[in-house]
Amino acid sequence: MSWWIRPLVRLIAAIMLPIVVPAVITAALWILPGDPAEIICPPGICDGTAALAARWGLDQGPVNFYMNWMANAVTGEFGNSWRVSQGYSVSLLLWESIPKTAMLVLLAMIPLVTGSALAARGWMPKRVDPLWQLIGLVPAVILALICAAIVQINFGAMSNDGWPGMLRLLFGALVLGFADSAFAGAVIGTRSVFEEEFKQRYVQIAILRGETVLSNALPNVLPALIGQFRGRMLHILSGAVIVEVVLGIPGLGELLWDGTLMQDFGVVLAAAWGFALLSGGMLLAQGLSEVLIELYVRKAPPGVGKAAAEAA
Amino acid sequence: MRGQRVARGAWLLVAATILVGLVVSSMMAPEFVDPPNFDLRNAGPFTAPPMGVDDRGIPLHQYAMQGAGIVTLPALASGFLVMALATFAGLIRCAGFNWIDTAIQSVGELLGSLPRLVVILVIALMLPPDWKILLPIGLAWALLAAPNAMDEAASTAGRLGGERFVEALRAHGFSAPRIYLYHVVWLNLRAVIVRQGAEVMMQVVFLEIALSYLAVSRNEPSFTHSDGIYSWATLLYQGYTALLSTRDPLWHSAFFGLMLVALVALMAQSFRLAARAR
Repeated sequence: MSWWIRPLVRLIAAIMLPIVVPAVITAALWILPGDPAEIICPPGICDGTAALAARWGLDQGPVNFYMNWMANAVTGEFGNSWRVSQGYSVSLLLWESIPKTAMLVLLAMIPLVTGSALAARGWMPKRVDPLWQLIGLVPAVILALICAAIVQINFGAMSNDGWPGMLRLLFGALVLGFADSAFAGAVIGTRSVFEEEFKQRYVQIAILRGETVLSNALPNVLPALIGQFRGRMLHILSGAVIVEVVLGIPGLGELLWDGTLMQDFGVVLAAAWGFALLSGGMLLAQGLSEVLIELYVRKAPPGVGKAAAEAA
Repeated sequence: MRGQRVARGAWLLVAATILVGLVVSSMMAPEFVDPPNFDLRNAGPFTAPPMGVDDRGIPLHQYAMQGAGIVTLPALASGFLVMALATFAGLIRCAGFNWIDTAIQSVGELLGSLPRLVVILVIALMLPPDWKILLPIGLAWALLAAPNAMDEAASTAGRLGGERFVEALRAHGFSAPRIYLYHVVWLNLRAVIVRQGAEVMMQVVFLEIALSYLAVSRNEPSFTHSDGIYSWATLLYQGYTALLSTRDPLWHSAFFGLMLVALVALMAQSFRLAARAR
């Protein structure tokens, strides 16, 4: 397979994701039994279904709804929440929740990046791997429950601000960093990538030439490491939904969960689009970095081309 | 060598025992739990064997059996789906169909580019009310997990030599079914395929517990089962809420909930160890 196919697929996927995800959800909204407006305002329970349909743009069919929604979404306008916080702006809900999730994800990456770096340098002993794997077997929901119990017993159920709020965030990051084999995967995955590369002949020649192994191997393993890093970010974003709900962190995951539970398509559309944008951004970064690394690796060092021509 | 074979056999026995236990429990699960019996409330496993009762006097083993009924079939189906797809990817790499290999990798890239739970929640949102069962969610999870499994199986087949490995065995006069099914799948891909399948089985069970727990903690119906049925998450929720409240803690509820989670993890690990490469 040519080297450019994978980056190209990633770039196409990165562009397509934010377009396809809302399209699929919109299609589902119309495929579901019943009128979309009746899902928000069941006729037996509330009046004015037609007025609500007109207000949310549900009366002009799925294509119009999708085009209008996308046009507004690009400008940061997502309409109002249908059920989670009825009438409240979804944009505001998103802006309130994104910083919490971003903080959670960044904190969760600290143990993973540290573990990967230590494994790459060979400073993480292999004999400790079974311990990480054992911890990784514990599901995120169980670890999150233990952490939530600690916070609630010490600070009460409604302790969401100040130090208890920060503690919830730190515990959440710890859970995401270690549960579901996240840390074990980071350590073992990074180490195995480097170990495979260190077996290559050019690395052994680099050792004979007195060069550092890491500087020689790093450009070649970077695409694999970036791929692993993206996979871990996705894993953390996925787990964030559970951790945020159990630990009571008002982030994007909790918002998506509430939207799904209450069939609030306005919130789900916006939250899923946010996740799609994030995933697309990561794909784009991975694809571009792969292209740049490939160009760097393929570029002959100064003098090599001339020497090769002379030898020929 | 013989010691390894014995160890693999022992792990297989452990895994099979737990799996059979799950299947039997799911088949014998009562359609509805017993009506509340407040005289027995909070009784432990010694007073009300085998698992004790909850704060309404309902036997916990009925929750456990209903929970097994919710997860067993979808988890098995999801595990087998991943195993089938991983086997397919490994065989394709060995058969040398490069364009299919590229197409599989591209589809895998697209499928794996969104956080899995986000996709699962969107799917749960789309499910009609009559479809509130774990199977579609489990299968969707399996499809999202499949690219990793397929990639690993294909890489293992690639390391084996891919097309050249098959050619070499053909030169020895082996038939195609023997080469692909015995030499490639059984002898070389088995460890990867079984591990990936067992992991997905475990993940689907944990996913059900997580989704049901989050729903029950909000007093909302779960996406994974109908309202009259209880998941293993109920045991965890009862144990957790009683721990935090002034009521008598339902330690046995939390204990058996955690035990069931541990048993599923042990089953997955046992399958992995039983199928590990020589």
